[in-house]
Amino acid sequence: MTTSENTPPMAAAITPQPVEYAAETPVTGKVRLEAAWGSTEGDEDFTTTASSAPKPDGQVFKPQYKQWNGQLNPRWMRNWAILRHHLLGIFKKGHRPWGMPIRLYLLVVFIASLTDVGLTLVSALIGDSGLHSIWGVSRDNLYGHVLGFFPRNMLYYPVIAALLVGGVISEDRQHGTSALYFSRPITRFDYVGMKFLSVALIQGLIILVSLSLYYFAEIAAMGRGWAWIIDTLPMFLATVFSAVLLIFTYTSIGLSLSSVSKGKFFPGIALLSIILGTKILAFIVSNLFDREILYLISPYDCLAHVGQAIIGTQPTYDQYSWTWSLASLVAMNALALYVLTTRVSSMEVTRE
Amino acid sequence: MQDDLIIKTTNLTKSYGPHVALNKLNLSVPKGATGLLGPNGAGKSTFLKTILGLIQTTEGEGTVLGLNIRTQGDEIRSRIGYMPEYDCLNPDMEAIHQVRYSGELLGMNPTIALARAHETLQYVGLGEQRYRNIGSYSTGMKQATKLACALIHDPELIIADEPSNGLDISARNYMIETLTHTVKTGNRSVLMASHLMDDVERVCENFILLHKGKLAAQGRIEDLKAFDREIEIHVWGGASRLEEAMIARGMGVRREGRVMRILHEQEDTTSMILQCAADVGAQIRRMHEYEASLEDLFLSIMENLGYEVKTSEDLLSSPAQARKVDAPGYMGGGSA
Ligand SMILES: Nc1ncnc2c1ncn2[C@@H]1O[C@H](COP(=O)(O)OP(=O)(O)O)[C@@H](O)[C@H]1O
Ligand SMILES: [Mg+2]
Repeated sequence: MTTSENTPPMAAAITPQPVEYAAETPVTGKVRLEAAWGSTEGDEDFTTTASSAPKPDGQVFKPQYKQWNGQLNPRWMRNWAILRHHLLGIFKKGHRPWGMPIRLYLLVVFIASLTDVGLTLVSALIGDSGLHSIWGVSRDNLYGHVLGFFPRNMLYYPVIAALLVGGVISEDRQHGTSALYFSRPITRFDYVGMKFLSVALIQGLIILVSLSLYYFAEIAAMGRGWAWIIDTLPMFLATVFSAVLLIFTYTSIGLSLSSVSKGKFFPGIALLSIILGTKILAFIVSNLFDREILYLISPYDCLAHVGQAIIGTQPTYDQYSWTWSLASLVAMNALALYVLTTRVSSMEVTRE
Repeated sequence: MQDDLIIKTTNLTKSYGPHVALNKLNLSVPKGATGLLGPNGAGKSTFLKTILGLIQTTEGEGTVLGLNIRTQGDEIRSRIGYMPEYDCLNPDMEAIHQVRYSGELLGMNPTIALARAHETLQYVGLGEQRYRNIGSYSTGMKQATKLACALIHDPELIIADEPSNGLDISARNYMIETLTHTVKTGNRSVLMASHLMDDVERVCENFILLHKGKLAAQGRIEDLKAFDREIEIHVWGGASRLEEAMIARGMGVRREGRVMRILHEQEDTTSMILQCAADVGAQIRRMHEYEASLEDLFLSIMENLGYEVKTSEDLLSSPAQARKVDAPGYMGGGSA
């Protein structure tokens, strides 16, 4: 398309009179204005004017539109894509970008969680039964691997949960990427379910894998037989169950916090302050007033109480039954999942 | 004709609390490119989200590609490509992987999705830049990436919400060309919302004009532009004599200096003009059919509508207006 601005200058060069517009110039407001308000009225004497043909516009090479007739896979494949996106992002590029600090911390925690594995192997190598009785698989040590407060539930697991849930839903609100999910055939339930599962699986990779390694290290290093395995399997499975409960609880509280915010930091910080804050508050109250009832609002203490009961270690909360703690956990999870589902179902499709 | 409809709605209504964003819309969108016009807040984005089944309608029914928007949202969304109005990309991801992931979310195999992501990014003009993080992209490149996400599964219908919003001239031209190309050579349908008449004019054959959630007009752009058809001539020498001669012959002439517009009423208007010019010895330097720009028409329609007009019937109630929107019957335009 030619406009009066890019009319070739040649036209003016061979024109005795200034030419306001070439023959091919489309009538724009400017030309009309000139014609309406210009000095001449169209009754002037003839003079020769010439104009050159407009140059065709340079055509940018456009790649051909390529059709695609493939088949779209059903729902499970879409959900698998969401899961893979989050999980593989921990290990390589091209998937969900987890920050370098998060990935480093996950690695550090994983290695730190393996201390009891290492010490079991060491004591087996040295052949020192005293050392082994401290580090080997026992009710207390299994409990400690998952539910010990320091350092595991102060420095490791809640922090991991906090780092993981941080952006996982809030980033979609922040960047508007929720539109990518919801403008595809993905239901809100699948969306939130897969996010939940991804975060839980990453925690599971650390907690459950290190727990299993610990158990199998004992079997391998100490040459345990079937009798021992049958003996200890129930407490091992109880520990696995406690770990699943812990992961589920931290994830549901964390994700509900992520669903009410737009930023990365609030959900993480809030999760840590809930877990550690309630624990400290309950601890202070029980020390000052000898009342343990506040432990019921602390997710960690409820998990520990239930864990002690099912793994069968010496209970440290003895003012009330562990079923109270279990009920409290159920209530906490229900509340968190309620917040999560209502927030996600009312989530705007596009950026808010 | 009915088979050619890709979107049809009856009494489609959407309220946000007391605010009625879409008011009893009866629309039919044929195959091909259709522009959804209207000023900001007219309800364009709301309409697009409703027909995708992304937001629940308050009242009314609709079908997209023959699928019910209330119950078959999932199926609709796997057969269309939606390009949202606002940012929907992760700035920390490379475009190629973002587009691939958007294909996987439709159920494409990772390998196939990756191959298609390369193809579509190439197609929207992001050849060499596709391995860069989206965070480093210009607005135009982001829009192109969004289009690539929408095109990855080669959908029958592309729904683009303000595709050229915020782009500079060259990026905008490129976007418009890509969309046009998709319709012309890809043989795909496009429904694009825009508040820019110019963009719609360049891509689409049909238009729908929304105003305050109501249908103001719909039809073929060509028909819309056919109203008040005039021939414009540029005269050098003897313009006044020519004007007199033509008026003497009973032709409708308007003159602004050297530019005249003559009502194009008969087949032989052109030759009559030339005859007059020859008779009086005036020189006609330029002669062409004058078409009002869509922008002009839009303004005049809006002006005529005021805020009271409910349907296109109101627009068609006066014969003069009827010519403005001479939509074919199947588009709900009612012949004048
Ligand atoms: N989620 C919402 N809640 C309340 N009102 C909304 C919401 N989304 C849009 N609206 C209102 O609906 C009207 C139409 O909005 P929209 O469809 O975005 O217009 P357009 O895309 O034509 O600019 C506007 O008045 C807007 O304020
Ligand atoms: Mg809009």
